[in-house]
Amino acid sequence: MEIGPIWRAMMRNKTGAILIALQIAVTMAIMVNAISIMQEKSRMMSRPSGLDEHNLFTIQSVGFADDFNERVTIEEDLAALRAMPGVVNAFQTNAIPLSGSGWSMGLQTEPGAEIDGTGVGLYFVDEHALDTYGVNLIAGENFSPTDITWRELVTNVWPGKTILTVAMAETLFPDDAMSALGKTVYINDTQPITVTGIIEKMQGSWPSWDGFERVMLVPHLLPWEDTQYLIRTEPGMRDELMPQVEEMLAETNKGRIVRRMRSMDEIRERAYRDESSMIKILTFTIALLVAVTSLGIVGLASFSVNRRTKQIGTRRALGATRVAILRYFMTENFIISLLGVSLGAALTIGLNILMIETFALTRIAWYLVPAAMLILLGIGQAAVLGPARRASSVPPAVATRTV
Amino acid sequence: MLSMQNISMVYRAGLVETHALRNFSLEVEEGDFVSVTGPSGSGKTTFLNIAGLLERFTDGRYELDGRDVSSLSDKESSAVRNEKIGFVFQSFNLIPDLNLFDNVDVPLRYRGFNANERKKRIETVLETVGLASRMKHLPSQLSGGQQQRVAIARALAGKPRLMLADEPTGNLDSKMALGVMELISEINRNGTTIIMVTHDPELAKMANRNVHILDGRVSNGDIEVPLSKVATA
Repeated sequence: MEIGPIWRAMMRNKTGAILIALQIAVTMAIMVNAISIMQEKSRMMSRPSGLDEHNLFTIQSVGFADDFNERVTIEEDLAALRAMPGVVNAFQTNAIPLSGSGWSMGLQTEPGAEIDGTGVGLYFVDEHALDTYGVNLIAGENFSPTDITWRELVTNVWPGKTILTVAMAETLFPDDAMSALGKTVYINDTQPITVTGIIEKMQGSWPSWDGFERVMLVPHLLPWEDTQYLIRTEPGMRDELMPQVEEMLAETNKGRIVRRMRSMDEIRERAYRDESSMIKILTFTIALLVAVTSLGIVGLASFSVNRRTKQIGTRRALGATRVAILRYFMTENFIISLLGVSLGAALTIGLNILMIETFALTRIAWYLVPAAMLILLGIGQAAVLGPARRASSVPPAVATRTV
Repeated sequence: MLSMQNISMVYRAGLVETHALRNFSLEVEEGDFVSVTGPSGSGKTTFLNIAGLLERFTDGRYELDGRDVSSLSDKESSAVRNEKIGFVFQSFNLIPDLNLFDNVDVPLRYRGFNANERKKRIETVLETVGLASRMKHLPSQLSGGQQQRVAIARALAGKPRLMLADEPTGNLDSKMALGVMELISEINRNGTTIIMVTHDPELAKMANRNVHILDGRVSNGDIEVPLSKVATA
């Protein structure tokens, strides 16, 4: 290998090499940190909701007629929905997981206004909710029909039962989450409520909330003019049933409008639209940076080949094979790239520390730095291959040309 | 040492054919010192390129050191150039970013010698050309004559059987040219076969033989033995 002479020659003509090495370093620092952000967003987006998402959809009913009767309409709607062929189950609720709109309350294990409650996402449900969601009840029991009561429009009264997610139970009872079953917890500082069931996993309405998986279900029906239903269908029937449900609800009561019919898949897509866009923008940025860096390498190598045509011819005359010339330029680029990625590794870690301190981002995964180094070295070698091949095709007779 | 039989070289550019060499034949014995002269465009450089395996010829047969080199692969040609031929160019063709040591090292690395062997050879040849004390200098820090001496050292380092010199004094003043020619003559006296292209009749006389090329052919009365060399031959 000619590493020594290549290095010494490069050091006598180093401006271009240093600029490319710096470009590689900056590219690497931005690339790795961007990938780390993308990984974080991707992890966030891939958290399972615990629901049978692909077979769920929601629809909103808004009564407007003077004689619109909320309670009768809701009872008739739910009966009709549950009777529809292909519908597994349905219930009325105040909010939809991941929708960005919902309720939250505070729960505490001891009564008292001076105690800070733990924030929890709250859904009003009936006994059909667990089956409709498709969630897994791992302890206790579902609500019974007798547990379900109509909630007053303005009230501070809470029913005596609740079902919690494991995440909420763990927060309230860190030593043993399952010990929450049967325990009394307090809502509104002092109102007791008994945990009668624990579900494995469910999510609240706000994906970016740190208490996203802390959820409580409360057995209430809501006598609201503006209400929404969550409907679960047999597998594969959702898209077929959605227009039928919309038509059925519109036909059965002319004193309301039905709107905002959305599948859970659409709700998930909307919930993570910002994250999804950020991933796309970062991917584009990385691709652009890598392309610009690759072009820089191609440019430097091409310039170097053009400038050294006579030198290449002389080397060929002195016995260099085409492969030796190819290897020379590949080695030269490897040295520049190695310098770049080494500097880039330090820059990457520095930038990450800055981003952790400034934007509370997570630490980059350990493997990202070596992986990026290998990838950029590979890209450097691929970028220089064209100019290096051109160099290797310079004929040895160039050595005797006087111009 | 070198035997060319009816070598032809035709350059084609579209429909235009240029005959650089026509039925060119030449025999050079081991230890010979041949000067090649001729006007511009006569085919001197083409002959040198073919002799040095820098270019392929169109037709004919060429044997170098007893081996038919007419149809060698590029890799084989490179190996033959590296092992058997030393080149000295008019513009020296030193690599400006490498010091003298690294410049002389270039062909030795392609030969695959180990570091000790290379170092020994480099020091020896730089000593021979009187530049051992300047091996860490860059070519730009030397005079033209010194640079050509480095180029000669580079050609000698591989201990070639044949040295091809292309106007080796073309870029030097007369004093430096004389020094370089004395060095080349000494190399020849030590047994290396030399073929030197020159347009200078005085320098040509320093060779044992002169071959004059005209229109791609060895001209009539081609091989002359200068009287000045008869006594020493």
